[in-house]
Amino acid sequence: MLLYAILCVPFTAGIVAAIVPWARWVGYLTTVANGTVLCLGIVLAARTTNRQAIGALDGALRADALSSFMVVVIGTIALLAAWQGIRYLGVEIEREQSSRRHGALYALLVQIFVTCMLTAVLASNLGAMWIAVEATTIATTFLVGHRRSDRALEASWKYIIICSVGIALAFLGTVLVYFAALHPVGRAIGSSSIQSHGAGVLDWTSLMAASGHLDPGVMRLAMALLVLGYGTKVGLAPMHSWLPDAHSQAPAPVSALMSGVLLTVAFYALLRFKAIADGALGIGYSRTLLVIVGLGSLIVAASLLITQKDYKRMLAYHSIEHMGLIALGAAAGSSLAIAAVLLHILGHGLAKAVLFLASGEILILEGASEIEKVPALLARRPVLGGIFGFGLVALLGLPPFSLFVSELNMIRAEVAVGLGWVAGISLVCMAVIFAVVMAHGRHLLLGGTPKSEASVATSRLVSIPLVSGLLACAAFGVLAWPLQPLLHAAAHVVVR
Amino acid sequence: MTATVTTSGLGASIVTSIVQLVMIVLGGPLVLGVMAKVRARAEGRIGAPIHQPLRDLRKLLTKESVHAEHSSAVLPIAPFVLVATAAVAIVVSPLVTTTPVLEHSADLFVVVFLLLMGSIVLALAGLDAGTAFGGMGSSRAMTIGALAEPALLVAILALSVQAGTSNLPKIVAATLAHPSWAAGPERLLAFVAFLIVILAETGRIPIDNPSTHLELTMIHEAMVLEYAGPELALVTLGEAMRLGFLLSLAASLFFPWGIATSTNPAHIVIAVVALSAKVVVIAVAIALLEVRTAKLRLFRVPELLTGGFVLAVLSVVTGLVTR
Amino acid sequence: MSGPAYVDALDLAAGAVLVCAVVTLWRRDLRAIVSALSIQGIALGVVAAVLAAHEHDVGLGVIAGVVLVAKGIVIPALLRQLVRRDPGSRETAASINVSASLVVAAALIVVAFLVSGKLTALLPNTATHLTPIGLATVLLGFFLLVTRRKAVSQIVGLLLIDNGVALVAFLLTAGVPLLVELGASLDVLLVVVVLRVLASTMHRALGPFDLDQLRELHD
Repeated sequence: MLLYAILCVPFTAGIVAAIVPWARWVGYLTTVANGTVLCLGIVLAARTTNRQAIGALDGALRADALSSFMVVVIGTIALLAAWQGIRYLGVEIEREQSSRRHGALYALLVQIFVTCMLTAVLASNLGAMWIAVEATTIATTFLVGHRRSDRALEASWKYIIICSVGIALAFLGTVLVYFAALHPVGRAIGSSSIQSHGAGVLDWTSLMAASGHLDPGVMRLAMALLVLGYGTKVGLAPMHSWLPDAHSQAPAPVSALMSGVLLTVAFYALLRFKAIADGALGIGYSRTLLVIVGLGSLIVAASLLITQKDYKRMLAYHSIEHMGLIALGAAAGSSLAIAAVLLHILGHGLAKAVLFLASGEILILEGASEIEKVPALLARRPVLGGIFGFGLVALLGLPPFSLFVSELNMIRAEVAVGLGWVAGISLVCMAVIFAVVMAHGRHLLLGGTPKSEASVATSRLVSIPLVSGLLACAAFGVLAWPLQPLLHAAAHVVVR
Repeated sequence: MTATVTTSGLGASIVTSIVQLVMIVLGGPLVLGVMAKVRARAEGRIGAPIHQPLRDLRKLLTKESVHAEHSSAVLPIAPFVLVATAAVAIVVSPLVTTTPVLEHSADLFVVVFLLLMGSIVLALAGLDAGTAFGGMGSSRAMTIGALAEPALLVAILALSVQAGTSNLPKIVAATLAHPSWAAGPERLLAFVAFLIVILAETGRIPIDNPSTHLELTMIHEAMVLEYAGPELALVTLGEAMRLGFLLSLAASLFFPWGIATSTNPAHIVIAVVALSAKVVVIAVAIALLEVRTAKLRLFRVPELLTGGFVLAVLSVVTGLVTR
Repeated sequence: MSGPAYVDALDLAAGAVLVCAVVTLWRRDLRAIVSALSIQGIALGVVAAVLAAHEHDVGLGVIAGVVLVAKGIVIPALLRQLVRRDPGSRETAASINVSASLVVAAALIVVAFLVSGKLTALLPNTATHLTPIGLATVLLGFFLLVTRRKAVSQIVGLLLIDNGVALVAFLLTAGVPLLVELGASLDVLLVVVVLRVLASTMHRALGPFDLDQLRELHD
């Protein structure tokens, strides 16, 4: 019942939003719907923290601690995004940049997008999970191209082409896993624990049970394809090139959702497959793969961030960096590391969503996305500038924000499993990124000659969600209580 | 399956090989005549009789031989080498019979390199006179040859992978033993690649236009521009033999039915008739293709040939996969 | 279906898939490329149908029908509309010339053959032996996607990858579970529809375009 509700509530809100032309109350409706998802996610988390899984729909849906954690993350970011979306669409329609019908389409697609992500994390069948992840690409393409400018269309073209290729490779990987599961080795043929031929084979529980008997040769190829394929959706190097374009061109709330949760939903898929592959191959193989893509992403992000002139693109590259860090954390693979990875997913989602939403607001007010053209924000728009500044601080991993804790724990875990050199390289990259982002941020917030205009108040529709997002991010960095048991239960799902 | 050459069979093998040689020497020019006739008819003309190429040869033989001023010995020797290499290839290959003389030498690589040798000598001859057109023709011919010869090699290699030997008579014999092979995907691919090679090697449309004398578009004709009289006759004959040989080889390798597996004269007669029929069918098909297509621009020719090469590679891979 | 007829039919249909993939790299005429794609879709459907007949699997038969209609007819029809819209540029624009790309294609096919040894070793039979063909199609699609600049040819590249993956799925496992397979086919169809709409929107916004014109976003 709970799982049905989680999927139905946002979808129904989307249908309603599609039927009626855009109006403010529709925006509030979607916000409330996404808030409901968050609440239901918390209930779900409370019920699965004791390491028991909840199933529904004849086992097609299944929630363990990891899924419910992801539901909470999705619910949180979706809530923030929908809340700010009211303002975003309001301004667009006011300025006649888009029509009310267009707004309705936007709201529908956002809600479908959220529903697809929820389906992906709640599906017990890994094939169904793949379909849901692929569906997110389809739903978001038009959202990326929402503004219909040349650049937005270009970004959405690249986005759908590259991501579809990636996701096709992931499908190939899934097929190979299925093939390996159909023909287990080291076990009598026709053994009872594997169904002979059917949907059950790709279920998470049966795959985990059989993972020790999967053919290593096939699983190696499968895992490489899965890392490459889902890695595309995560935005990991070498298939990251769509990410800066799509995230910088999409409307701010969509960027927040894509950067804040879509990337990590794809990573969630990777975590699941990693657990299965580790059962078949030992931890070394997927660790090598993840270290390669993780370090690659960090280096790409560090080297390309230096030349960025556009603050939304800067944030997008920052996402690549964080996905690289998460990949490295997952490479370490210990229980501590996975718990830190999950906390990082939440912290990064919050901070990145806040920053994208704030940058959307800056874009609305200033009309420019180049860092050069919006100097001295703090003097001119104290609240918005403050939010942006604190968001950057959070994203750079300074205390008291939760990213500090999670980065620290990931590095500890990496050192503990003998990946000290990896941790060293990642620290160097992080230092470079720190310096670059500080320089950009300094200009954006303090630099230049402040024009003589008076400071402008920021709409409450913007400030309330963003400030609360930042507060939550800080709270999770300081308080261990509500989250820690859930994180450990979730980590336990994918670590033996 | 493979008949071994015993001492008593040697004489018969020599005879059949001579039959092959005579058949191709006479048949090659006739095939050219048939193709010209088909083209003429398809274009609504009556056309020359099909033995016109033989008549041309006879007429050329009676003429005087002229050499360019600073040319070396390559120019007069080349036609003989061309004809000789083609003749050796014809003698050892399984065209009429699966037991030609020297059948153990009839290796895929030997035959391809014999053909290659002919092409190279002709290209050298084109360069020898030092004229612009000769050089241009040689250069173009080598560009095409560099792509066509590997494609030919790989196309036949696909068959030899299937048959487990690179000996041509054994490949043919194995095909006879396994009729179902002929319809396999690797055979189809190799056949298409082979046809493309035939078009290229023998200078047919869409790669070259054998009847053109427009210098800028010539390939083969430019190369042999310096020849006259009996030497031109030899070059023309050599080219006709190569066409006849490649067509017969294609017929034997891909559709071997009717080929003689013994030295029984009756079988050989049947084989000659069957081979002629198969070659004529392929030749008519090529001629009709020529009527329907335009000549490719020169820089597009490599695309066609590498396409043929890839098809041949595909054929080998498919062969390995489905084995 | 069983015996040699099964083997031959499977070989032939799978071979046709790969040949069509090569043809898309070989030809420049976009209409010919789309036709090759259409034939490939039909061949893919035939592979599924042959396997379904061999294994007496009704679900797979249904999938075969869906694949045949979606990939053999509907998707190529959508692409043909796109080609027709822009009669001025019917040729693909390749960033490396066709001969070179064909040679690369030959190399990729060999690579696919080498890589898939592991897969066929697990369960050697007629169908799994053909998996290199599927992987080669994936690689060729990837290559097409990277080297061609026209919107239509990029979509074709994507579809080649997809067809290759589907072929591997059919050959190795006689199709992943019905629901997943249908979902995947539907997804592909939707992607193509989205791309089709996107391409027309771009056509309206930018005029007839090469993707080379998409140069505004880069680092």
